[in-house]
Amino acid sequence: MSAVEPALTLRGDARVRRRRIVNRLAESAATIAALAALAVLGIVIFSVAKRGGGELSWGFLTEDLPTFGQTGGGIAPLIVGSAILVGIATAIALPLGVLTALFLSEFAPRRLSAAIQLTIDLMNGLPSVIIGIFVFGLLVYGHTQSGYAGGFALSIVMLPLIARSTQEVLRLVPRAQREAALALGVSRWRIVVGIVLPSALGGILTGTVLAIARAAGETAPLLFTTSIFVNQITSDVRHAMPNIPVQIFIWSESPDPEDHKRAWASAFVLIMFVLVTSLLARLALARTRRKLSR
Amino acid sequence: MRVTFQEELDQLEANLQEEGALVLRVLRGALNALAQRDVELADEVISFDDDVDRLYVQIQQEIESLLARQTPVAIDLRLVLALLHVNLHLERMADYSVTIAKLTKLVADVEGDPALLQSLQEMGERAEEMIRVALDSLANRDLQAAESLVDLDELIDRSNRRFVERVVEIVAEPGLREWVLRMVLVSRTLERIGDHAVDIGEQVAYLLTAEFREFTDASHPENA
Amino acid sequence: MPPMRPVDVAERREASPETREPVFEIQGLTARYGTNVAIKDVNLEISRNLITAVIGPSGCGKSTFIRCLNRMNDEIPSFDHDGQILYHGIDLYGDGVDSVEVRRRIGMVFQKPNPFPKTIYDNVAWAPRVLGLKQGLDERVEQALRGAALWDEVKDRLKKSALSLSGGQQQRLCIARAIAIEPEVLLLDEPASALDPIATASIEELMHSLKEDYTLVIVTHNMQQAARVADRTAFFSLDVDESGARAGVLVEYDETTKIFTAPSDKRTEDYVTGRFG
Repeated sequence: MSAVEPALTLRGDARVRRRRIVNRLAESAATIAALAALAVLGIVIFSVAKRGGGELSWGFLTEDLPTFGQTGGGIAPLIVGSAILVGIATAIALPLGVLTALFLSEFAPRRLSAAIQLTIDLMNGLPSVIIGIFVFGLLVYGHTQSGYAGGFALSIVMLPLIARSTQEVLRLVPRAQREAALALGVSRWRIVVGIVLPSALGGILTGTVLAIARAAGETAPLLFTTSIFVNQITSDVRHAMPNIPVQIFIWSESPDPEDHKRAWASAFVLIMFVLVTSLLARLALARTRRKLSR
Repeated sequence: MRVTFQEELDQLEANLQEEGALVLRVLRGALNALAQRDVELADEVISFDDDVDRLYVQIQQEIESLLARQTPVAIDLRLVLALLHVNLHLERMADYSVTIAKLTKLVADVEGDPALLQSLQEMGERAEEMIRVALDSLANRDLQAAESLVDLDELIDRSNRRFVERVVEIVAEPGLREWVLRMVLVSRTLERIGDHAVDIGEQVAYLLTAEFREFTDASHPENA
Repeated sequence: MPPMRPVDVAERREASPETREPVFEIQGLTARYGTNVAIKDVNLEISRNLITAVIGPSGCGKSTFIRCLNRMNDEIPSFDHDGQILYHGIDLYGDGVDSVEVRRRIGMVFQKPNPFPKTIYDNVAWAPRVLGLKQGLDERVEQALRGAALWDEVKDRLKKSALSLSGGQQQRLCIARAIAIEPEVLLLDEPASALDPIATASIEELMHSLKEDYTLVIVTHNMQQAARVADRTAFFSLDVDESGARAGVLVEYDETTKIFTAPSDKRTEDYVTGRFG
């Protein structure tokens, strides 16, 4: 080693120090941004909880809606009604969504698959108010509002979500397993039923739950299709069904401060439902991902 | 593991031992033909050598194929290389036996000297014994037996010395000169057979010790 | 050291190659992906109950070739071919030939073991069940696992997940899965390249016993493996024509011993001696 060259050290010089400072700045900025996003969510939950938590009680959840001017009462009809509407929507969107995803993943030729994929993405981006007007024109205009119409409208919201998440899980099923099954002389459909679907089932379920969480809170489609309803629990789907989001809207427009409180409380119930189901669903999805990629 | 490969190796060795058995028969035939001045037997011996040659070529090809396909290493490699050399030594021994048979035919009409013939038979028996010991040492992986071949070779040398003494005694006798000359060649040939048997022993030692060394070196007899 | 086992020379049964009937007759096979020619004008015959190896450098079309034999290339939209592949005289790509039926008779084992995420039993039993071979399923599974030299190791844990097996065991499970539907031919695409040396040796031993009941074609980039295992070897190489287009061609096809001791073509010799490229 020549005496002129400086001895090799692994310590930093000015360049390295500058690099370190830039690193730290970037890290801090990213952390602050993430915290800001969390803060927004936190503020929303907090303010809803503060204003609505007080109204919350077991009676609130189980009694019928109060008639005009009455105090007390509960949102039981709303819960039942929302459940039925979402139930109808799931019954439509789940099979259609899964089948669409299967078709795209296993059977579609390239060009058709691209077209369908585009359609689903567009559906996903449809403003919910457009969905509402469309179903209004299709099923309500000239007839009456009904649970069918509401459920149908919600299914349009759910379909692309289910299709997308199903697609994602199907993609996780290794191609090697499909190949192995093909090489055994098994037909395409049998492979789907016997190998692909069983592996993807968990993911399909959680994707559906996420879609349900989303649909439970959609207001605009229901405004057009099932917004003029009675105050009792009803399961007659041919008429408009009571539901949480529309009722929140109605109560918030009311002059009665009691109604405002009820609105906040219902919003709290709704947000809790969405939060809890979303969280559980995402945890389950992560587990499915880990299982499939082993 | 590699059951098939092991079976191939076993088969190869079995073929080689078979060749060894043939060589012993060829040698015994040549010795008998010499003792009894039996020209027909000598001819049989000469044609029997073809069988040995056929086996020699077959074993050679089997070794080539095995080396190419199985890429043996370590002890397997040493075994295959040892078998390759032993194959050659056996084939040479058979050729030498044919030489004895041919020499027998050339002077079959001469009665010869009984004492000389006796020496030659003794040398032949020593050679047979050495071949047997060599083949057994390979079959039993017996290093001591392999190394004992040096001492057995010593016995052939002793018989040979007695032979030479007798030759000196009778070489002047008229009518025997050509016969004696041929018999000297026979004794030389038998000595060579013994040398090849020692070589087989060296291959066995190589197989077992992974070291190749000559048991006796003509220029360094003290290394024996 | 134990004395040597006597092996009876007469007992070695080996029919001369000329008397074996061909299972595949490949005539003028050219395979393309779009405009890319993968293999060009391949002619060869594959005989019954032998192991035929396909060797050659990367990209010379070995995998393409073997995947033509069970129509797995049909899955690739841009695939097209000229020439014929006759299976017992029937053109595999002929009109009315169903690719699913083809694959029932010509099975395949892949490079990376790919057992289904099911139990060991179900891995072997699924395809027969689905294909209607429901009778005697237990016996079928046991036979297949025995045939793959795996039965003794798994007979007490058939209900455990297949993913709990080691790599070598998983690959043998894939072989058991393939032979459970009783194919005639087994195609093996680099079956041991993802395995450690001991597992590789067990697969090679297995192939020797499998060839008594099946016809095997194996693609391998490890030519020593081909030398150890195969009865016949086909050497593919890349051919560059005047326009610069590259395609795989069959250079030499012969008894394995000949390929590795005295190949006829210099390209073959360059490859097996490692002087290639």
